[in-house]
Amino acid sequence: MNVEEKKAPIRITRFDGLFRGRQRLLSGLSGVLFAFLFIFPLFASGFWLNTLTSLLLLAAMAEGWNFIGGYTGYAAFGNVAFFGIGAYGTALSMTKLHWPFFPGMIVGVAAAVAFAIVFGLPILRLKGHYFAIATVALATATGEVANSWTSFTGGSAGITLPFFHPMQLSGQYFYYLSLLLVVFGLFLTWYIMKRKLGYSWVAVREDEEAANMMGINTTWAKVTAFALSAVMAGFAGGIYAYWRTFVLAEEVFKIDYTLQMILATVFGGPGTIFGPFIGAFIYYILVTILVFFLPIGQLHATLLGTIIILVMVFTPKGIMDFISGKRKLTWRALLENVRIYRV
Amino acid sequence: MNSLELTQCIVNALLLSGTLALVAIGFSIVWGILNIINLAHGAFLMIGAYITYWLFTLYGVDPFLSLPISMILLFIGGYLVQRYLINFVIRAPLLVTFLLTFALEIIIMNLAVVFWKGDLRSVTPSYAGMGFALGEVQVPYVRLAAFILSLILTGLLHLFMTYTKMGNAIRATGMDIDAAKLQGVKIGHTYAVTFALGAALAAAAGSLISISFPIDPTMGGAYTLRAFVICVLGGLGSIPGVMMGALLYAFIEVFSGIWAPSLKDAIALLVLVLVLIVRPTGIAGKAFYH
Repeated sequence: MNVEEKKAPIRITRFDGLFRGRQRLLSGLSGVLFAFLFIFPLFASGFWLNTLTSLLLLAAMAEGWNFIGGYTGYAAFGNVAFFGIGAYGTALSMTKLHWPFFPGMIVGVAAAVAFAIVFGLPILRLKGHYFAIATVALATATGEVANSWTSFTGGSAGITLPFFHPMQLSGQYFYYLSLLLVVFGLFLTWYIMKRKLGYSWVAVREDEEAANMMGINTTWAKVTAFALSAVMAGFAGGIYAYWRTFVLAEEVFKIDYTLQMILATVFGGPGTIFGPFIGAFIYYILVTILVFFLPIGQLHATLLGTIIILVMVFTPKGIMDFISGKRKLTWRALLENVRIYRV
Repeated sequence: MNSLELTQCIVNALLLSGTLALVAIGFSIVWGILNIINLAHGAFLMIGAYITYWLFTLYGVDPFLSLPISMILLFIGGYLVQRYLINFVIRAPLLVTFLLTFALEIIIMNLAVVFWKGDLRSVTPSYAGMGFALGEVQVPYVRLAAFILSLILTGLLHLFMTYTKMGNAIRATGMDIDAAKLQGVKIGHTYAVTFALGAALAAAAGSLISISFPIDPTMGGAYTLRAFVICVLGGLGSIPGVMMGALLYAFIEVFSGIWAPSLKDAIALLVLVLVLIVRPTGIAGKAFYH
């Protein structure tokens, strides 16, 4: 390595008590949010229900990304491939095989997981930048294949799915389905992080060689993290396909989705149980709502970019540290990152 | 495919490889010395292309003469970005610099779309369509000139890195940062100059590309990815390696563009993944920067 290795202090998520310290505040915040989310459809519909459904799908994908990117420490930049494969798997089994939604979605998720295992085994041997770009390349190539394999995927014409019946309940149905997925993701994270698998993920993140020496099967750990992030993104893709009733490669393989799940996780705090979920809210509040009310015309991508830069320079470990009071929000705390990492 | 088409394809691939090498070398020195993947590389290239376009359209400056102007402007811009932004987090984990340069790309691209509109534009000097024929094979003048200029710039970079004090400082920093510090190298300044060189080379490539191909604000991303593939093919941090990588990539791109046009990028990317799986540090391995 040509750049001096100066590691940040090791942070290992507390597994012993879920409701302690920082985790307590995160779960408290999440409790309030869940109460709100559960009754939300009673007094909202249309635009806001759709926005919240997109947000929940993003939160679910961010929870998935957290497995590989947050806990295992591999910068996966191609998780949108799982989303796209989940969407296409669901759409194809519903239109070509005329299967009902749930079995169709299972097909989509199974395809995403198979993809993650088959390609994860070789590319998870790569490290750092190489792994990151290999995942970008894989996702882009998969999207391009889906776009040009016209006889199977419909190509650039896309696939139109049957509508959900009864139509007027469709909004609520997909909203609660997404909410269920998010809760499932939280439970899954909590369950795994109490167990050996969770410890081996963190061990791989902190020092892969040492983990290997300690007898941890690092390949198994990495591939399960990758495959479980595919499970979350695959389910999200399946729900998305039936919700929007239209699947198009250019849409479901957009790199923006990968970026969004990474940002949601980083905003909230990578390697924490509730971080990605809270981060998805922060991200959406910043992006959707700010842009919705701010008269900045077409400059919202510039605003987003500026927010990313500010977060990356000042609080790359997420802003939950400050909200939970673990660190005080002072200039010193904000500049700590710069103090450690500048040249 | 008959032999004439084949020869034409080979000539096209050769001409393309020069410009691609220029794109990849800037990317490669930033990666090799600073250990960051500059995802905004393509955005710098796009700005370079637009500088040439506007100088030509508004003031009638010959596209080849605008090359130094776009290089100087991007050199200054790149220096400022590295010195006053990226240097602050340069040693942070991979994800931080990755997202930081990605955000830069988003901002630059968005501003370009807003101020310059998303239309496809092209630079059309009077000699744009002209060329000569080698037997039956067509060689356009502008692409030949771009090829030669790319080679000249690459040679100049090599001379700069080998024979100047700054170039040696850059290489020393890439080899061993602590030893370089002990020799009195100012790391912050050296990093900024390295990044600025990368940006200037991207600008030069952009200016040359704008003469042969139509340009638009979103053109950059594809070139960033190509630069990465070439660096992986050729190995990180050696100029001859990058040129070989560019040649190999140009052939893959030209020929897959003929046999399976809609899968052009997919094939190149799958080649990348395959190479990485077989040789995780590229075909040529690591060279002098390390």
